[in-house]
Amino acid sequence: MSLAARHLEANGISTVIMGCAKDIVEHCGVPRFLFSDFPLGNSAGRPFDTASQAQTLELALELLERAPAARTTMQSPLRWSPDAAWKLDYLDMTKLTPDKLAERRKEFDVVKAVAKTKREAS
Amino acid sequence: MTTAQETKTVLAAEHDVPIPYMQRTRDYYQALGFSPYRWAHFVDAPFTPLRTPLARTRVALITTAAPFQPELGDQGPGAPYNAAAKFYKVYSLPSESVPDLRISHVGYDRVHTTAADFNTYLPLARLKEAVAAGRIGSLGPRLFGTPTNRSQRVTIEADNPELLRRCREDGVDAAVLVPS
Repeated sequence: MSLAARHLEANGISTVIMGCAKDIVEHCGVPRFLFSDFPLGNSAGRPFDTASQAQTLELALELLERAPAARTTMQSPLRWSPDAAWKLDYLDMTKLTPDKLAERRKEFDVVKAVAKTKREAS
Repeated sequence: MTTAQETKTVLAAEHDVPIPYMQRTRDYYQALGFSPYRWAHFVDAPFTPLRTPLARTRVALITTAAPFQPELGDQGPGAPYNAAAKFYKVYSLPSESVPDLRISHVGYDRVHTTAADFNTYLPLARLKEAVAAGRIGSLGPRLFGTPTNRSQRVTIEADNPELLRRCREDGVDAAVLVPS
């Protein structure tokens, strides 16, 4: 998505990305980025919380209007939960035993094969 | 004499930072025995200031969510990663519609969220409200979906030029891009 924003922007279309993966988007480098410190999948606000979604969009629109230069990141002030412990769980290696790892590897091979078949058919 | 209130400085917990996804993903795939993924990286970034006030700007919504296809297995809330639901070409749908788009084909946080409310990854309803309120001039006639799972080469050489072509056809001046 970062590559798409860059391409549109380079060709005269102003862009803003709404996202949750701060390091990945900033590593690429994009014109404008509204970062929500939420679990992946919630780039546009909290589930079943229209006010949070409207606030998230409004911040993105303000960035679109007012960012002074490229690589402008704004962080939404919204919190996913008062306790930040959820941030420790994503791909938490300490919870993976060697058996679990082997299982995950097998699952990943299956997923890769499915994706490959689909890609080649498309 | 009255004393002015003073707000105390309180530090956050050490782990309360944006998740370092690149590091965690590298460590994870290394433990699984795979070679590391290389994320796209540039030193600078392009910049096009908005040419017209937002209230007169036509905006496109671009998503990485996938159209629901019932025959392709579980794509519902909390569904396991579903590679069969992936798509490999840019698609368009009428902005006027309420499309059924899902994210079972990407690695969202399945521990802490379920993708039960599509408004968390597709701000189409909120954008329509912003248009109705006069905050945005209009939405483009179509919203666009773009694949996330090809090589960076295919993204750069095929998908991005196609997205640009469609944005130009629709006469949009700005785009809101929402990775899921």
